[in-house]
Amino acid sequence: MFKKSHPLQSKSEIILRNIVVVAMVIFFTVFLIVPIAIAFAGSFHDWNPLSGTYNFLGVQNYIDVFTSGLFWNSMLNTLIFSVVVIIFRVGLGLAIAYAIYSTLVKHKSFFRAVYYMPVVTPMVAVAFVWKFMYNPQIGTINQIFGLDVNWLMNPKTALAAVMIMTIWKDFGYAVVMYMAGLYSLPADALEAAKVDGANAWQTFKYITFPLLKPMTMFVTITSIISYIQAYVQILIMTEGGPGTATYLSSYIIYDEAFVKYNFGYASALSFVLFVITAFFTWLSFRVSGSEE
Amino acid sequence: MKKKFMALLMASAMAVGLLSGCGGGSSEEKEQVEVPTEPFGDTIKYDPAAEINNGEDITIELWEWGSDDLFQEIIDGYTAMHPNVTIKLVNNPWEDYWTKLPLALDGEEGPALFNVHNSYHENLINYMAPLEIPIEDLEADFTGVNAHVIDGEVYYIDYGMMTGAVYYNKDMWEAAGLTEEDIPKTWDELIEVAKKLTIKDGDTLIQAGLNFNDDFHQNYLLGLNYQLGENLFQDDGRTPNVNSETMVQIMQMLVDMYRVDGIGSENFGEKAPDSFGQGQSAMVIQWGHYYNTLNTTWSNIDFGVFEIPTFDGEVPYAYNRYNGESTFGINKNAPADQQAVAQDFVKYFLANDDAQIAFNLAMSTFPAKKSLADSEEVMANPSLAILADHIDRYIWPGPMPATVENSLKKAGQDVFYNGVDIQTALDEAQESIVRDMRNSSFESVENLYTYASERTQ
Amino acid sequence: MTRKISKIALNLILLLLGVVTVYPFVWMLASSFKKNSEIMALEQHLLPQIFTAENYINMNERFNFMRFFANSLFVTIAITVIVIYTSTICGFVLSKYRFKGRNLIFGFVLSTMMIPWCVTIIPKYSMIQAFDWMDSYKALIIPAMFSGFGIFMMKQHIASLPDEILEAARIDGANEFYIFHRIVFPMSKNGISSIAIFQFLWAWEDYLWPYLVINTQEKQLLSVGLKMFNGQYSTDYGALFAATAISIIPVLLIYLFFQKQFIAGIAASAVKG
Repeated sequence: MFKKSHPLQSKSEIILRNIVVVAMVIFFTVFLIVPIAIAFAGSFHDWNPLSGTYNFLGVQNYIDVFTSGLFWNSMLNTLIFSVVVIIFRVGLGLAIAYAIYSTLVKHKSFFRAVYYMPVVTPMVAVAFVWKFMYNPQIGTINQIFGLDVNWLMNPKTALAAVMIMTIWKDFGYAVVMYMAGLYSLPADALEAAKVDGANAWQTFKYITFPLLKPMTMFVTITSIISYIQAYVQILIMTEGGPGTATYLSSYIIYDEAFVKYNFGYASALSFVLFVITAFFTWLSFRVSGSEE
Repeated sequence: MKKKFMALLMASAMAVGLLSGCGGGSSEEKEQVEVPTEPFGDTIKYDPAAEINNGEDITIELWEWGSDDLFQEIIDGYTAMHPNVTIKLVNNPWEDYWTKLPLALDGEEGPALFNVHNSYHENLINYMAPLEIPIEDLEADFTGVNAHVIDGEVYYIDYGMMTGAVYYNKDMWEAAGLTEEDIPKTWDELIEVAKKLTIKDGDTLIQAGLNFNDDFHQNYLLGLNYQLGENLFQDDGRTPNVNSETMVQIMQMLVDMYRVDGIGSENFGEKAPDSFGQGQSAMVIQWGHYYNTLNTTWSNIDFGVFEIPTFDGEVPYAYNRYNGESTFGINKNAPADQQAVAQDFVKYFLANDDAQIAFNLAMSTFPAKKSLADSEEVMANPSLAILADHIDRYIWPGPMPATVENSLKKAGQDVFYNGVDIQTALDEAQESIVRDMRNSSFESVENLYTYASERTQ
Repeated sequence: MTRKISKIALNLILLLLGVVTVYPFVWMLASSFKKNSEIMALEQHLLPQIFTAENYINMNERFNFMRFFANSLFVTIAITVIVIYTSTICGFVLSKYRFKGRNLIFGFVLSTMMIPWCVTIIPKYSMIQAFDWMDSYKALIIPAMFSGFGIFMMKQHIASLPDEILEAARIDGANEFYIFHRIVFPMSKNGISSIAIFQFLWAWEDYLWPYLVINTQEKQLLSVGLKMFNGQYSTDYGALFAATAISIIPVLLIYLFFQKQFIAGIAASAVKG
């Protein structure tokens, strides 16, 4: 950024670097790569570790993944779900964080605490609460708006209903992250803008937002990774229904692994999903151009 | 001398612990457990005088989910006879118990005894030790044992049978001018009654005559086929039979109930059992556990129960499907002395009528023990009493993989909410069951049903 | 004048959003003092019509609440402290040092987050069994010592610290260990507090893994105890909501505490500057 790199590598730098890199690599290899490798091997088998079944199938599981209509449907749902929820999470998070940060708002801690509450509440409980809210007969939402909609059982509204709940639950995460980013901004850059006579919108557009780019990258990428794996809200609110209208790929993985005990097929799905996630992550880095 | 002193110390420490610890109330209510001295039981006899583990101290674990008190009571009864045995009760959350249990049984951490549910049969059976009680003795005392025989061994049996019955709201029944005489025997009669129980304000439903939202798969699609003389699985015992003409007919009946007869709606009441509890629906078909739910959660509903109707009012091939509540499993990887205690404990459980009745009432299941079929306590539960006449006319297809239920639930939702036609929806269900069962070792035991030969086909 | 209007408008919008955010939460809290029949009743009221503390009282009867609470607190704090340290140091090395394979290592760390836990949890269980760590807190703490999320977060955060400060220290003859512990670590306060907030939350909520590896009842964690209310045939909503309400108190406290740190840190730097 400022300078390409400091030319002289001191001895202590090499030592520190080596300790950290070795520790990191060993840890990730043992506790993550080994289980992932076992699962990868499992994806070529009819594999149920609970009953002890382990029979070689070759690439059959992968063929099943690619020929499954349900999988492709669920990929489309996952794409819609992730894109919409991420846009709202990032947008709302940034807008609210910026509003709280601004001098216009007084009770900063109060608002921060309020928006953070859904984040700390476990998804299971939240999903049940919202299921009550969406209930066609006794739900708050129909009562407030005077509607008669069976939100979670109508194929037109079910996925949207789950997305709204997820946005509600998660935008506070982005608020917290952006607050940390905003408070770390170099004060002199903002001062300089003020001196130059920039208005609030210009300051935001040309100074604040670009300076927050690392945070935006961070929130976006962690969101991609976590939403592609989100399933608890589906499990509790719709079980993928009505029919298969709200199946997300991650829900299929959960269902195959812990309901049907087809761990082999679930693993194959996971690795297909992994490739897709990795692609989108790479794309985000590319688009933002932050990674040289 | 020293030993005695230590024992005294231990005993008093334990007494203090019992009084002070152990949380609210339960310790004070503990009654003196009666210790039997004479052998008891029917064919399976339990002799309390026989020494366990040569009288030496031993501790085993019993893993279960749900009701602690129920299990603790039978443990207390057992340890009163055998003070050298300690049985540690470990409670587990229902869902993830089924992940932890097989993993633990595979290693050294597993309990000697564990509570079983047959829907997880495939993941557990490899870790279970067969019962030492002769099969003839089990068969003499319990019904449905033959369906549990695997290569000449029995690993667990059912202590009770759970199945569906119709629950109706007595206040609504009265308000509609109906009497005991009107209790329907056929589906047509049920629909007529339901029409009288339905209240509408213009096109808006106020009260549904019948509600089957969220459980048509469990209580209708997977059971009424037997009334029409058809099994859930084809004769090979492996191929599902869920897209047959019979199934289409049943699904059509459900659709007509809502769409033609207007006795309910798929958008009225998210779940049938809750809707009945909320006083919005007059009738629901539910399995035995609902009897307990009504008494605990929905205690202000005055309800009655009657047996599931049939198509022609005659005794059908089978009224409905049942599922068993299973006896404990014994861990074959546990140390031999622990296994011996576990075997003895299961025998005690099977021979002990009080325990059998307590478990059946707690689950609201019909006792599998033949001598208890007409016991007073069981008959006092109306959801069981109505089954008594035809309990042999209920059939168990075996420990079906979850996909059978789930696929039919999806099919039903497709028909009711997504506008898919019945045949297509059922074809898809058939296909997905076949695919999911590819790796399963499940084989239907419908051929072992008492009246299997009557099947019309 | 326009400033005043926009001030009021903005505060109103935030307040309205706040109400929307809090309402389901208040609903849950109120429901935790209701019987299940009232939670599901046709006639819905936000506040309990018949107030009952049964859901909370039952909790203590089912398991040793204080014991589980203390266990959870210990494990969660241990994991959080370790993760803060490892994330900051890894983030520092990955963002401020340039060396071959740096992006590769970062990509590797990031990609481990992309495999769903569903398919790796059982292999991980077998490994812990092989290490003979079953039924001990080693199985909970050691596999959680490094966090891909934390490393990523701190990498982004430390990257924005100006290089000049580090260079100045180097010219003064400080070694890298000193620079990390005395300069980078204190300057990363904001990043660290957000990691602390989230890592604490995740470790506190984590349920399946502790349930699988811990067998002794006395060692069990709160999150596992709270799951006991999920029945075979029905969910005990009242108990679930009560359990949830209680279990989020420490997480909220941690948040408020680090929030304060946040502001203190900013105030301090403002005074210095």
